[in-house]
Amino acid sequence: MLLSLVLLMVLMTGMAFAQQKSITGKVTEESGASVPGVSVLVKGTTTGTVTDVDGNYRLNVPANSQVLSFSFVGMVSLEMPIGQKTVINVVMKTETTGIEEVIAIGYGTQRKVTSTGSISLAKGEDLIKSPTMNVSNSLEGRLPGLVTLTTSGEPGYDGTTLRIRGVNTLGNNNPLIVVDGVPGRSLERIDPSTIENISVLKDASAAIYGAQAANGVILIITKRGKVGKPTISANFNQGYSRPTRIPKMANAFEYATLLNEIDTYAGNNPRFNTDQLNKYQDGSDQWNNPNTDWFKETLKPWSKQSYTNMSVSGGSENMKYFVSVGAKSQDGFYYNSGTKYNQYDLRSNLDGNINKYISIGVDISGRMEDRNFPTRSAGDIFRMVMRGKPIYNAYWPNGLPGPDIEYGNNPVVVSTKATGYDRDKWYVLNSNFKLNIKIPWIQGMSLSGNAALDKGFRFHKNFQIPWYLYSFSGMDANNQPIMQKGKKGVDDPRLTEDMTDNMNILLNGIVNYERKFGDHNVKLMVGIESIKGSGDNFSGFRRYFLSSTIDQMFAGGDKEKNTNGSAYKNARLNYFGRVNYDYKEKYLAEFVWRYQGSYIFDENNRFGFFPGVSLGYRVSEENFWKDNIKFINNFKLRASYGQTGNDQIDEWQYLSSYGFNNNVFITNTNIANKALYESRIPNKNVTWEVANQGDIGFDAELFDSKFLVTADYFDYRRSQILWWKNASVPVSAGLTLPRENIGKVSNKGFDFNVEYRNSLNDIKYQVSLNGGYQKNKIVFWDETPGAPDYQLSTGHPMNTSLYYKAIGIFKDQAAVDKYPHWTNARPGDIIFEDVSLDGKIDANDRVRIDKNDIPTFTTGLAVNVQWKGFDFSVLLVGSTGAVRYINTESGEIGNFLKDFYDNRWTPENTDASYPRTYNRDNVYWRPQQNTFWQHKTDNIRLKNIELGYSIPAYLCQKVGIQKLRLYMNGYNMFTFSPDLKDFDPEQARNDGQGYPLQKIANFGINVTF
Amino acid sequence: MKNKSYILIVLTFFLLTGSCKKDFLTVTPLDQYAEDGVWKDPALIQSFVNNIYLGIPHGFSALMLSSCADESMAVWDWESSNVTNSLLTPSYLGIFDLNFWTSKMRYITWDTSYKNIRACNIFLEKIEGVTFDDKNFKDQLTGEVHFLRAYYYHQLTSLYGGVPIITKAYILNDDFLAPRNTYDECIKFVTEECDKAAALLPASQSGNNKGRASKAAALTLKSRTLLYAASDLANNTTWATGFSKPELIGYVGGDRTARWKAAKDAAKAVIDLGANSLYKANPVLNENTSKNYGDIFLLTETSEDIWVRFVLAQYENDWDNGNPGLFNGPNGWHNWGGNTPIGQLVDDYEMIDGSKFDWNNPVHKASPYENRDPRFYASILYNGAKWRPRPADVKDLDPNGIVQTGFYEKPGNVVKAGLDTKKSPIEDWNGTSTGYYLKKFIDPNVDAQYFKQEIPWRFMRYTEVILNYAEACIALGQETEAKTYLNMIRKRAGMPDIPASETGLLLLNRYRNERRIELAYEEQRYFDVRRWMIAPQVYTNAKAVNILYKLLPDNTTSATPTYSLSTVQQRSWKNSHYYLPIKLDEINKNKNLIQNPLY
Repeated sequence: MLLSLVLLMVLMTGMAFAQQKSITGKVTEESGASVPGVSVLVKGTTTGTVTDVDGNYRLNVPANSQVLSFSFVGMVSLEMPIGQKTVINVVMKTETTGIEEVIAIGYGTQRKVTSTGSISLAKGEDLIKSPTMNVSNSLEGRLPGLVTLTTSGEPGYDGTTLRIRGVNTLGNNNPLIVVDGVPGRSLERIDPSTIENISVLKDASAAIYGAQAANGVILIITKRGKVGKPTISANFNQGYSRPTRIPKMANAFEYATLLNEIDTYAGNNPRFNTDQLNKYQDGSDQWNNPNTDWFKETLKPWSKQSYTNMSVSGGSENMKYFVSVGAKSQDGFYYNSGTKYNQYDLRSNLDGNINKYISIGVDISGRMEDRNFPTRSAGDIFRMVMRGKPIYNAYWPNGLPGPDIEYGNNPVVVSTKATGYDRDKWYVLNSNFKLNIKIPWIQGMSLSGNAALDKGFRFHKNFQIPWYLYSFSGMDANNQPIMQKGKKGVDDPRLTEDMTDNMNILLNGIVNYERKFGDHNVKLMVGIESIKGSGDNFSGFRRYFLSSTIDQMFAGGDKEKNTNGSAYKNARLNYFGRVNYDYKEKYLAEFVWRYQGSYIFDENNRFGFFPGVSLGYRVSEENFWKDNIKFINNFKLRASYGQTGNDQIDEWQYLSSYGFNNNVFITNTNIANKALYESRIPNKNVTWEVANQGDIGFDAELFDSKFLVTADYFDYRRSQILWWKNASVPVSAGLTLPRENIGKVSNKGFDFNVEYRNSLNDIKYQVSLNGGYQKNKIVFWDETPGAPDYQLSTGHPMNTSLYYKAIGIFKDQAAVDKYPHWTNARPGDIIFEDVSLDGKIDANDRVRIDKNDIPTFTTGLAVNVQWKGFDFSVLLVGSTGAVRYINTESGEIGNFLKDFYDNRWTPENTDASYPRTYNRDNVYWRPQQNTFWQHKTDNIRLKNIELGYSIPAYLCQKVGIQKLRLYMNGYNMFTFSPDLKDFDPEQARNDGQGYPLQKIANFGINVTF
Repeated sequence: MKNKSYILIVLTFFLLTGSCKKDFLTVTPLDQYAEDGVWKDPALIQSFVNNIYLGIPHGFSALMLSSCADESMAVWDWESSNVTNSLLTPSYLGIFDLNFWTSKMRYITWDTSYKNIRACNIFLEKIEGVTFDDKNFKDQLTGEVHFLRAYYYHQLTSLYGGVPIITKAYILNDDFLAPRNTYDECIKFVTEECDKAAALLPASQSGNNKGRASKAAALTLKSRTLLYAASDLANNTTWATGFSKPELIGYVGGDRTARWKAAKDAAKAVIDLGANSLYKANPVLNENTSKNYGDIFLLTETSEDIWVRFVLAQYENDWDNGNPGLFNGPNGWHNWGGNTPIGQLVDDYEMIDGSKFDWNNPVHKASPYENRDPRFYASILYNGAKWRPRPADVKDLDPNGIVQTGFYEKPGNVVKAGLDTKKSPIEDWNGTSTGYYLKKFIDPNVDAQYFKQEIPWRFMRYTEVILNYAEACIALGQETEAKTYLNMIRKRAGMPDIPASETGLLLLNRYRNERRIELAYEEQRYFDVRRWMIAPQVYTNAKAVNILYKLLPDNTTSATPTYSLSTVQQRSWKNSHYYLPIKLDEINKNKNLIQNPLY
């Protein structure tokens, strides 16, 4: 790589010798401020330079050069005739961003000025400010109306759950991801440097994607080449990560005290005497009375990650190219981590014109995702870290690893490669071939065909080997420790390999017609599209390897070997179209439709028709507006209404089918028989879930487009929601129910984006604030007929459940006697409210709590500042309205939170905020879901912060570099969540037994040649 | 020209995309079978029946039913103490709830039973229309399904009393609100199903079909059902004070003697069938009868197996399955302690001469584990018992593999804990609280921390039939006959005959103890203490033994321990717990259901 860089530099230096004429000049803004970094190019050639920190440039041009072009991101490009001039100074105007932008919509692009849909947009250059390894982590706070939830930071499985305008259905709420026009591709693993922009279709404009678009559509456009000399850009990043939060656990003395209380409450003698308790506290006997912090023993302070990307782009009028390669590597949080993620990317986007009428595009991208784990899952490891008893040794004082809690899972050992390895490699190849033909005989008509072939190939290998832990049984006569080495996990090495081979083929053909008739602009589009997926998988297993040195199948024993395999197929077929009309770009109308068929449904219910209409009125184009309300230079009203469909449910609901049980029925020594069961009873009538989506909003630009406002109100009604009737069908019916189109849900809310950009002397700044609020409500639902009213789900948000209402702690026996209570309740227990007022506490006292883990309001505040070579940006995000149930595995089974220890009820501390010490689930208020353990996750986070410095151009150019920028940035650097202090507000696990989220500090360098 | 050819390409493309409309979206699943394919193919039909067997709960799970009765105590509790404290309510079914987290107990629930009953109903509705080349095969399968349906209803009736008898495979828009049938109707239904099964099935199964139901199994299920139906609980509903529908939980009126007679005849039918016999029924002098008894649960096959579930380690992918050694073995062998025998059970093993064991007897107290019923040595691991070799890493600490549940006083105020105690250096959290571990069922040849054993679970063995027969005889006043049969079992165990003079209540108690010892941990006791209505007497605080090797005046540790007793788990009984509550949610869904009494 280095070699090619050198070669390129030599080449470029060589170009400089073809000089004939020298031109100098200065580029300034309207305000008079100089503009550094402007690209100055002799038009039609690759000869050019960039302006230095003071806006000056010097360029040697061939004598016959005609025109110089000046371009800079965010400014209107300029062309100046050269003539006989040797000094050319120019004034560049700030691009009136927003309305002139071109945005991606389904099957095409649109100018923002005439678009009528509710669409949010984020730029690749902003997303890359998040030093995360997963693009989905970078979206929070960037796109109004997009609700995000990152539930784990585990390398390779750190994806963010994306919800457009919250949750709309009880079924699958995942939005449709469309990458370069191909639906169903993954967003998460795209190399962020190759992303041009991401747009989110929130309203009826998504209807062009019909089915599967009911949850909104996220469109990703990758970068393409532009006419000009080759631009080589390279990015190097070195980052350091650690958990955003780790809980504070009780120490050895505290834990031992709690165990004593467990004994006392059970009527037994406390197990630790004062002497032992003291030793736990003073640390005088590390062999027998240690004080272990399991998090500290298992997790290192910082883990490394790195990211490198190089790209070349450029081209001529007839051939443009963008080629990029990238590599990522991410280490786990553990010491000697067995968890590691690596990724290698390649993308090549080519555009060519075959002649005046025909153009083609060939996009190929490939990547390898390489996930490495120990053979124990992150869940196992963090379960043991959470449960880790401070009164046991992680390592003995002589450095040998201490005992497990169970299954050999001492987390300091099972987080390393000592257990063997689990390596999961995915090879993904995405390709896209486009052919576009302008019909010469009909003005404005073109045809295009698109074939996308996506191939996924997986090779997954899991090699388990035994590992060793030590137990200690006192000192021998010489006062040396007596240690026993114990084999753990598995007795013999064993290997599982599985392979998956997936393919997805998309074909579409589209007719476009675009014509201007006087003041009337008309655009028509119709198309057909077929999508077909298929895949096979195969796996093999052997054990009884004689040695762990060779990890290949042949080396395994023949006993108990096992193979397995399966396959799938799916198909979807669509017809779609769009009509756009506008009059003088003032009155705008759009109609989209889609007629879609899905293999998910039975033949008679297979197709659904989904239309959408949206209207726009650019009031600011009216004369009365122009004359009177000058400070608002652009104002557009928008409204849309449409239907989209959802088929994202399990397959074969309409079929009566039978599947094999994973277990087999053994009828004699060595006689294993397959067992077949009825998968479900069929529902022939199952069909599309329908989303009715209404949206009204406006886009405004004020004070010469320095101030931008966009706001939308939406009213969504989901009908025919596919759900099970399990609330009303008694269990004695024995049915495995299919989904039925039974539910109705409404979801209303708003989202907005406000942005202000200006400059003050040399300082350019931009501040934007966005937010979204949504609340859903079940309108109709299957209910349990005999349940009390306050338990019904109708009228409440989706995904809520029933809880006993915790209204305090029984202070003493008198308090227990005074109030209805659970059988066996005693002082120190949680008081459940007698909601039904029948004098007893039973399941009818549970109430429906309207909250779940999805926030109702989310917001992002972004600030960007530039001053000379410096740039600085901050993104703060916040969310409210969600709750998390926290329920750690504590007692003899594992440690307690320190917070619990500090605030628990004891006979001496009866005004406590926590109940008495418990042993796992031996008290009614642990297994019975109640509001005591619900915490609000309202939070504010410093999501991103970045500081960059660009080396002045005149310095760079001496070494042949156009631009050199150094930067450092951070991700999740600070989190404030007042009601949930021990865990990250986004982490999904109720018991803390998951891989924590990441906080990342990163340093990077960006070079452009 | 060139342009035209391109246009042609695009048009072809359109056609390709659009032309295949009809077939294109018709995709058949590749990972499951369509219904009509199943009900044509006898091999698939048999695998459908196989799945119904898999729903039957067996005892090789981590939490055993014994820990819900007066046999054992679960080291890790797992909410079993809520059963032994009578704390279940319609709102809290604990381990009997489908949503309870260990997997195995789910098979015993209302939910799972009715799912499998539905499978039986589907089979019986569809099988009529299926042509088999081999009619015997069809009869065999049909017989098995009648047996399985009987088994599920027997289980439900034993747990809940009368339940809705559903014999129809519902479709989506049916009326599902079935009311409970009476206890009488349920017993009738189960026995009829057993008869149907018995008529279609071979006397016993062999070869590849060994694990399938046989005529002997169907008749044994009938015997068990009729014995339960003749017992006190089903014939005395007075405990359910004020319950408006006593016919749901037992008989109201009728001839109880006839019920005992029926129970006796049903047991006799199995005996007369002659398909099974007691394993090693006639030991010679000095034969190791303890080993004989233990082998019944360690061999893959014995003459007394009527219906068993085979286990193959290779196929056991559920952690909570088929691993009694790991679940119940001592922690000093890296096992989980598990369902530890409580003092009450251990104390009920007679002395070798047939007398009762008594801690107040100084001779007994000095060496409580000597001269006991040979079955004791095959069932219980106690302090000083020799077991399999210790795992490699513990071997140095105990080369001989002797269970250590005691504590050793050492000079300098030091108390050294035995390897299998709650203060052991090895996984102390799994140490026993009662001083005992389970030995029955556990294959001593398998290192259970890594390997699963391959010994079948016995749902039904011939000994039970003998006991059922004896119980009915005692109830009918045929005491000599009863003793003849009970003595067969005692003889096999190496125990003396019941004294000829023993009659009446003494004999009844002797019988009950015999059943308790012989069938310990075989998932019988939970039901026995209920149907005999002795639950109020036996759900008492669990007892433990504390074993201490004292420091002698010469500063050496005594080689013989001293024993003291304590209680380790509080237990209590409420009459409501004769039957399980029906889940409140189910009653809310089905207004025709009536809750069990006292809930």
